[in-house]
Amino acid sequence: MRPAFFSERTQGRERMSQRDLLHNITVTACILAVAVISSAFFFLTTDNGNNASLIYVLAIVLISRYTYGYHPGIIASIIGVVAVNFFFTYPYGELNFTMTGYPITFMGMLAIALITSATTTHMKAQAEALSEREKLLMEAEKEKMRANLLRAVSHDLRTPLTAIIGSSSSYLDNREQLSQSEKDQLVSHIYDDANWLLHMVENLLAVTRIHPESAASINKSMEPVEEVVAEAVSRFKARYPESPVQVCTPEEFYMIPMDPTLIEQVIMNLLENAAIHAHSQEAIDLTVTAKDGQWIRFQIKDYGQGISPERLETIFEGSPYGAGESADSKRGMGIGLTICKTIITVHGGTITAHNHAHGAVFAFLLPIPTQPCA
Amino acid sequence: MSTKLSILVIEDEKNICNFIKTSLQLQDYKIITSATAAEGLSIANSGSVDLILLDLGLPDMDGVNIIRQIRSWSSMPIIVISARTKEQDKVEALDCGADDYITKPFGTKELMARIRTAMRHSNRLVSEDEKYKRPYICKELVIDFDKRLITLKGQNIHLTQIEFKIVSLLAQNAGKVLTYDTILTHVWGPYIEQNNQILRVNMANVRRKLEQNPAEPQYILTEVGIGYRMAEED
Repeated sequence: MRPAFFSERTQGRERMSQRDLLHNITVTACILAVAVISSAFFFLTTDNGNNASLIYVLAIVLISRYTYGYHPGIIASIIGVVAVNFFFTYPYGELNFTMTGYPITFMGMLAIALITSATTTHMKAQAEALSEREKLLMEAEKEKMRANLLRAVSHDLRTPLTAIIGSSSSYLDNREQLSQSEKDQLVSHIYDDANWLLHMVENLLAVTRIHPESAASINKSMEPVEEVVAEAVSRFKARYPESPVQVCTPEEFYMIPMDPTLIEQVIMNLLENAAIHAHSQEAIDLTVTAKDGQWIRFQIKDYGQGISPERLETIFEGSPYGAGESADSKRGMGIGLTICKTIITVHGGTITAHNHAHGAVFAFLLPIPTQPCA
Repeated sequence: MSTKLSILVIEDEKNICNFIKTSLQLQDYKIITSATAAEGLSIANSGSVDLILLDLGLPDMDGVNIIRQIRSWSSMPIIVISARTKEQDKVEALDCGADDYITKPFGTKELMARIRTAMRHSNRLVSEDEKYKRPYICKELVIDFDKRLITLKGQNIHLTQIEFKIVSLLAQNAGKVLTYDTILTHVWGPYIEQNNQILRVNMANVRRKLEQNPAEPQYILTEVGIGYRMAEED
């Protein structure tokens, strides 16, 4: 594998040098020309020409920074040293490296110039490598998010499906032996689990509306905050008639850019989460407020048992179950929350979870555009 | 009326067809089912159908085309059955002349309510001028179209010209969803640019005047991405 790798690299470099040779020559020539002209100007207008060498050092740094490879920097260093000798040291207008002390001075000057150019080129290469790595890391992050999602989904789908298949087959097999109340119970289990599956599928559909390539590629439109909230709440109430919700939206009218279906899904998930996991009869508070004129803050507050601290840390990460909790004891809130986070992130917002004195608070922020569309 | 109302269900999913059939038959409707658009159209053309439930995703024809064909000769109520994610399809179907839509998955109760609303509207067409004289009454809201008066809990509500136009349009079609475009053309005329923000802002003002809590509206319900629906009269 190694030779192939090398030849590939050298080929790559050759291809690059073909394209970039011209660039290197142009940049080097231009910067050197500017350096010569400005140093000549410096020399002619002031008495002190010795500092002209500084201009060449600057030129060398610039050349190394804006060209590819080490060569242009080395060539520029040599030309610079020769030019300093020719123009700015006695005898003026002649090349003379043999005067007393000159060999050491110019050798030193050349060495400094070479080291400077080499260091600059090296730094440039490092910076490039660093940005490359950052890109890879971001890719990995996306990949991780998708993997988490898939894991959460496949787990969460299996549980209700098992229950549906089990209940319906035991109904079909033992129809004669079962009492009416037992039958009712089986069918109502099927009903509940099918509803749960529906919830899951809606979340998955939500994800398909997000194109992973770029954050800007969801279909945003200007939507009134109160209408989206109202629809989410009415859907929630239709599905969970026994869970009371108290809604409060700002008196002022706000329209912000969003995909209304996705934001509705987030509100729905958070409300559902509160209704199922809080184990409380008290009404859930849904409060929408404007914050600093830059954000709309949606807050869902329940008065239940709260979230355990170790779970709080990874609650949006798609790990459905906290440590020490049996995986089948509870239906995961993992997938719903992971999707909430994904949706809010592509909208340029943030989502947080914490406990208050009597339960849990989930809140997310959506940006208000600085220039409201007329 | 001794004869049963007959409903044509055009839907290619057998399970859904069966579920609709079972629940509607229990409500004393006569049900005809069809799995393809071609068959459905020929049944509809035979003239024995009072209402159509139409699935938009049929294998042999675009649902919107079916609506257009039926609308070319009949004004019978058409209720579209569609999946949640495609707002654009619903809007297109409604603008083509569908009376209402219902989103999968739906319960029997919801389906029944939509069918009753659609039937009522189709009957009303006969007595067009009658309904302008009869006020709209829902819970504590009364709209008198004749006197251009709106009262909430007996209190007079002041609306602007435009706001009143929107509310009365919605109230005359209570229970039916009206798309943004429909409302825009009826209220502002056909030359209004296709930007529904002006409508959204007006609706927000109406909501603040009519609803106790704008986030939990009782009278004017939002169908995000599609339009508005006024609550049915009591």
